[in-house]
Amino acid sequence: MLHGTLDALILKTLTWGVRHGYGIARWLEEATEEAVPIEEGSLYPALYRLERRGLIEAEWGLSELGRKAKFYRITPKGRRQLAADTQEWVRFSAAVSRVLTPATL
Amino acid sequence: MTFGRRLRSRFWRGSVQDEVDDELAFHVEMRTRELEGRGLSRANAREAAIRRFGDIERVNATCRSIGQRRDRDMRRTEYLTELTQDLTFAARQLLHAPGFTIVALVTLALGIGATAAIFSAVQAVVLRPLPVPEPSRILAVYTAWPQGPGSVSAGNFVDGIEPVSSFSATTAIRYSSFNIGDAAEAERVIGARVTAGFFDVFGVAAARGRVFTAQEDRPGGPTVVVLSHRLWTRRFGGNPATVGSQVRLGGQLHEVIGVMPPDFDFTAQTEELWVPMAFTAERKAMHDEHQFQIYARLAPGATRAQATAEMHRNAESIRTRFPRDAAQLDFAAATVMDELVGDYRRRLFTLLGAVGLVLLIACGNIANLLLARAAARSGELAIRAALGAGRGRIIRQLLTESLLLAGLAAVAGLALAAWGLSALTAAAPPGVPRLEQAAIDPAVLAFTAFVAVISAVVFGLAPALRAARTDVQSVLKEGGRSGGGAVRDRLRTAVIVGELALALVLLVGAGLLIRSGMALEKVSPGFDPSHVLAARLSLPAADYKDPERVLQTFEQVAAAAAALPGVRAAALTSQVPMGAGGNGNGLIPEGVAYEPQNSIQSRLRIVTPGYFDTMGIAIVRGRPVTAQDRRGALKVMVISQSLAQALFAASDPIGRRVACCEPGPDGKAPDYKTVVGVAADTRWRGPAEPPSPEFYLPAAQIPSVAWDWIQRTLYVTVRTNGDPSTVIAPLRTTMAPIVPGVPLFDIRTMEQRIGASLQTARFNTLLLTILGGLGVVLAVVGIYGVIAYFVTRRTRELGVRMALGASRHDVVALIVRQALWPVGLGIGAGLLASLGTARLLSNQLFGVTPADPITFSVVAGTLACVALLASLVPALRAAAADPTSALRSQ
Repeated sequence: MLHGTLDALILKTLTWGVRHGYGIARWLEEATEEAVPIEEGSLYPALYRLERRGLIEAEWGLSELGRKAKFYRITPKGRRQLAADTQEWVRFSAAVSRVLTPATL
Repeated sequence: MTFGRRLRSRFWRGSVQDEVDDELAFHVEMRTRELEGRGLSRANAREAAIRRFGDIERVNATCRSIGQRRDRDMRRTEYLTELTQDLTFAARQLLHAPGFTIVALVTLALGIGATAAIFSAVQAVVLRPLPVPEPSRILAVYTAWPQGPGSVSAGNFVDGIEPVSSFSATTAIRYSSFNIGDAAEAERVIGARVTAGFFDVFGVAAARGRVFTAQEDRPGGPTVVVLSHRLWTRRFGGNPATVGSQVRLGGQLHEVIGVMPPDFDFTAQTEELWVPMAFTAERKAMHDEHQFQIYARLAPGATRAQATAEMHRNAESIRTRFPRDAAQLDFAAATVMDELVGDYRRRLFTLLGAVGLVLLIACGNIANLLLARAAARSGELAIRAALGAGRGRIIRQLLTESLLLAGLAAVAGLALAAWGLSALTAAAPPGVPRLEQAAIDPAVLAFTAFVAVISAVVFGLAPALRAARTDVQSVLKEGGRSGGGAVRDRLRTAVIVGELALALVLLVGAGLLIRSGMALEKVSPGFDPSHVLAARLSLPAADYKDPERVLQTFEQVAAAAAALPGVRAAALTSQVPMGAGGNGNGLIPEGVAYEPQNSIQSRLRIVTPGYFDTMGIAIVRGRPVTAQDRRGALKVMVISQSLAQALFAASDPIGRRVACCEPGPDGKAPDYKTVVGVAADTRWRGPAEPPSPEFYLPAAQIPSVAWDWIQRTLYVTVRTNGDPSTVIAPLRTTMAPIVPGVPLFDIRTMEQRIGASLQTARFNTLLLTILGGLGVVLAVVGIYGVIAYFVTRRTRELGVRMALGASRHDVVALIVRQALWPVGLGIGAGLLASLGTARLLSNQLFGVTPADPITFSVVAGTLACVALLASLVPALRAAAADPTSALRSQ
């Protein structure tokens, strides 16, 4: 997976609401129709890194199982970061498409 | 930081480890359930979930380490936030009490500034390494005489020091002054003749051009000179073309081959140029003319002990080979830093200690101010405590206030230190090595910051601890009445006891130095210094090769000086009293075996007729040197009283004969001179030094070689009717035609010379007295403050007492009695401490013992009186108060 893409996807996921780690994983699987393989292992370090950078914040709450679980929420700083990442992604993918798909003249 | 994060950081009690474990376990559990929902068995589902997750251990470890860093960041942010809050709050508190803040700031800034100024002197002189590679491996080597270290002869250097294999380089140095430039603009500068090893010993290359080589350092070698950076900039305007040019030095043209770097300027003599020593074979064979300073650099891997052992062995072999000239020879060595700094290390550290005591007293006062303020602020602190601030948090808040105070004071103190340092270097006696290079450098800044933090803890910790202990309930119940607290306050009293003890230590030190100074002033120098001027005159060897011509020239100089209007008497001498240096010889009286071990080392003074009158040295027996004592006449000498005692004990020395200074007519037998007079002893180094044996030879009778010993340099001394400084200009004018191009130098009155020899001691005394005075003022202010505070606290009680019939006298007695015991205790403790600290001064004392009972009792008495007076002021004010208004006060 391209570097930084996972971070952007996590942030995007959280724009629809508070979620725990498993919820994020599930949502990503469904939204990308499993076309983008997410290694579950790499999800959590990414969450901790984002939290340390202050892009998301965590709190403990009750999960659907009635168990204590850690929920993540995007911060205003995270939203700004997401906007920047998205723009960057658009520029990047457009450039890559121009190269890979021959121009239809 | 958002509220959620902050809240979590406060209430999240579990460790990062638990956090990560729980979170990952939850994920696996959720996935397992999902797979179960798709029909897998529980066991298979769990296995699949774990497989799908990947390396759970590695993920766990990564998350843990990120999580720990995250928490550390958070704690730091939280700490900084609290610090900012504390600082803002502290600044507001200080602004709220401008009176307290100004008094505390001024006191502290003075204390910290003085400490920083003295420390920069210590740093410049003692602590800073010399600007040469590995200075600790450079040794100064001496001849170890029974009476102390002395210079080394060329023969002993060549035979005893140069061959030492533990030295990678050695050098012999002879400092002398040179006339530099042509006749019209000749100037006298201090320079050094050095052997070529000099530059290797110090390991410093020329900044421009080059230094001279061993091939150039030989008799008949090229006349070359290396200049100091100072001389090059001062006299040659820093012109690069100087290197390679010719300059007239002592009447001879020298080629300037190099200029040393600017920081190569640290030796005690601060010489300004170097020329090759060019030892002749004859010079190298001389073992008993001790005229050279020796420095050596230890070879890589060699130790000082190895070098010393080698030198001892060499000394032994020289002793056997030259039993007459090197009978008692041995060598000793010290590091060049010890040699350079010498006494100043101890003096400066004493000063640093003294200024530290003043700072401690200042801290004591501020601690007392803070304690008084804490009492007034107890309401505020109790509210903070009631609102949930922990003890630690309150202590931190109060310490932050102290730190802010100390920090501000340190900044102001540094400005004061910069000013104080320039005053210090300007007022300091000359000759303190490297003092002029003292500056507020990074080391001084670091030290000042350290001192500020320590001060803040010293004056802030006890008040903070006490304030944090305050019982919330009782304070709040008092309903905002300003403070409760004990009337008798042991902590504040203890501070007073400490301050008084420290002030007493300072005063005893100052007192001992003052008493030494008084004793020194009373010492008779052995001559009459009033109305006497002395200036040196040095005839260049190149122009004055013929000894007869040297003598004639000097005699003309003496006659011309004596003929000046306003001059009562004039004469020449090789050495005036109170001047350093000079030559010495071993004297052996007739009738005693002519063996080196029987010789008595005495200081040689070569004089012209009229010297004793001019200098006011009494002739206690016989006659002085006269114009009849010429070559061909009976060879005579005048000896000092202590030399007469050493040579002849109680018997009459007049007419007795003494061997000295030169071989007899056959070159072997002793050359005897007849004692014709006995002169009073003079102090030759300063009043603090005991007189050493001296003998006077008529200039007209000395052997030719003696002019080389004294480098054709004599002092012109004149006794005047009026102010001796008025004859300086006429003296110069008169000398010019007799000795064209040869300047008079070192022109000072004898009173100035005595002053200079006492200058270091006087300066130290002055500084210590100022510090002692400062300490006493601070301590007295402290006592006043505490007693005044007690009195305010007890106003009501005193009112009751007076209403019940106590007289004003009773009230005063009550209050002063309260001051009595801390004053007594403080002085007692101070006296005990002084017994120890005064011994640190012992090498600066003269005529008093470190435990001088007079000093101790006068100082203790004075301090007790002043302290009780300070408590009397608030007592009298309390007694004068109207009882009814006192009763109404809170």
